[in-house]
Amino acid sequence: MANRFKLPDLGIGIGLRTVHFGEILGRAPAVDWFEVLSENFMRTGGRPMWVLDQVAERYPVALHGVSLGIGNTDPIDRDYLRELAALARRTRARWVSDHLCWTGVMGRNTHDLLPMPYTEAALRHVVARVKQVSDALERPLVLENPSSYVEFAASSMTEWEFLARLAEDADCGLLLDVNNVYVSSFNHGFDARVYIDAIPADRVVQYHLAGHTHKGTHIIDTHSDHARPEVWELYRRAYARTGATATLYEWDEDIPELAVVIAEAEKARAFQLECVAGHGG
Amino acid sequence: MAAELDLDRLQRWMHAVIVHPGSPQQAVASDTAQREVPLSQLGAVILPSATLTPTERLAIYQGMYPLRMEEALAADYPALQHFLGEDAFLELVKQYVAVHPSRSFSLNPLGESLPEFLRTLPGLRRREFCHELATLELAVAQVFDAPETTPLGEPEVASIAPEQWERARLTPIAGFRVLAFRYPVNAYLQSVRDDRHDHPRPRLGREWVVVYRRDYKVFRQPLTGPAHDLLKDLAAGLPLGQAVAAALQRGRRAPEEREISGWFQTWMQERMFAAVATS
Repeated sequence: MANRFKLPDLGIGIGLRTVHFGEILGRAPAVDWFEVLSENFMRTGGRPMWVLDQVAERYPVALHGVSLGIGNTDPIDRDYLRELAALARRTRARWVSDHLCWTGVMGRNTHDLLPMPYTEAALRHVVARVKQVSDALERPLVLENPSSYVEFAASSMTEWEFLARLAEDADCGLLLDVNNVYVSSFNHGFDARVYIDAIPADRVVQYHLAGHTHKGTHIIDTHSDHARPEVWELYRRAYARTGATATLYEWDEDIPELAVVIAEAEKARAFQLECVAGHGG
Repeated sequence: MAAELDLDRLQRWMHAVIVHPGSPQQAVASDTAQREVPLSQLGAVILPSATLTPTERLAIYQGMYPLRMEEALAADYPALQHFLGEDAFLELVKQYVAVHPSRSFSLNPLGESLPEFLRTLPGLRRREFCHELATLELAVAQVFDAPETTPLGEPEVASIAPEQWERARLTPIAGFRVLAFRYPVNAYLQSVRDDRHDHPRPRLGREWVVVYRRDYKVFRQPLTGPAHDLLKDLAAGLPLGQAVAAALQRGRRAPEEREISGWFQTWMQERMFAAVATS
């Protein structure tokens, strides 16, 4: 099943990270596509921008942000949106994604991805803002499910119900981070398979895979390791539902050599082939 | 209570808890947090997990906040962090972001006020040295991020008639800062970058430096005092003839004309200027 936005399956990609700049430009590794952290290339005019221009010439690119603050109660930052749209044009980004979260209040940014209460009021609030952002970017916004460490007593629906209704009401795409599903399922004690099965498959534009850190009492979404087998199993389950969908491996802490990140991302190919052969799900 | 807590109030409360510099218990009990959610109502807002209390769950976010700010500031101020030590630097970060929290979608400007903040921070050892070291590191960070500007090319320079140079005003590239220090902070920064252990002592010892970007790399070039004064005058827009005349009249520190010619040649070769105007 292709996503309803007809956004392409870009194959298997990795995040563009500073430590790999030299190697990526030097030997043009076999990677299907790169995801770019939007804010790292905004308000900077030096080497990072020059590198990004080279990468965007050679590879398909998608933008992934952390500062949109779609759930914030402050007004949407129009300057940010203008700069984001300009970056998307410059890199010919296939899509622009961010997170279902809030990031700060009263003009202050914590630079964290903070969880929303899953209430009717919060849903109305986010739907209205997604529509504004999609209009400003002149393309459907793609939102990622967050990993989280707290649950609000006020929530009247599950996260997957909230996401499904948000996607429908705001007509936005979804970036399904299966590691985040796993992390939150442990932290909040729900069945990750139920979550995966409830996501509207035709809205999933992209997958994220990553490693995490188990602290015993909770799991932190650190992006600092190989993905756990349980996460790969969730990916297999989800991919069997969505079919060919762009997949990306994130590695943000203790980043190893480029070849290690690529090899970890390439593991996804075997799961995809299994699904195509009809063994998944 | 929980169902009635509107989103704005919920965010103001959680924000107050996350950015509180004390313990998680102090954070949820702080006046700012309790203005939105009284401590007695905490359990009606945040659910416990099977293993963590509401406060312990909030502590995950509260614990990560200063570390994220530290990581961002350490990227811009590695030598200051080295000088202070990791623990003292983290304490500095906590104090700094309490006064200067991020107000941007980008973390790049977070450290812009740190040099001035250090000037007045009570109890800071070697305050002036720290201030000057941070000033240099901020200049490096700003030059790194400056917009790319096309430097003055040879044809443009060649097109200026000899008699026009007297009145010529030069505009530096965006990635350019000229700085004077009372302490050897450039030497200190270099020793940290070289991973050496023989760091210069933070004692008085003048340094003049130009920080600039060429081919997407940031350079720090030491200057003499007179060269600094001349370059600063030029960057401020003084006509070349006037700036050189001022340099030649600086008493004991006055350079010779051939020295000035050599400096000028270096600055042009290093492509520090973006434009020249003769009218």
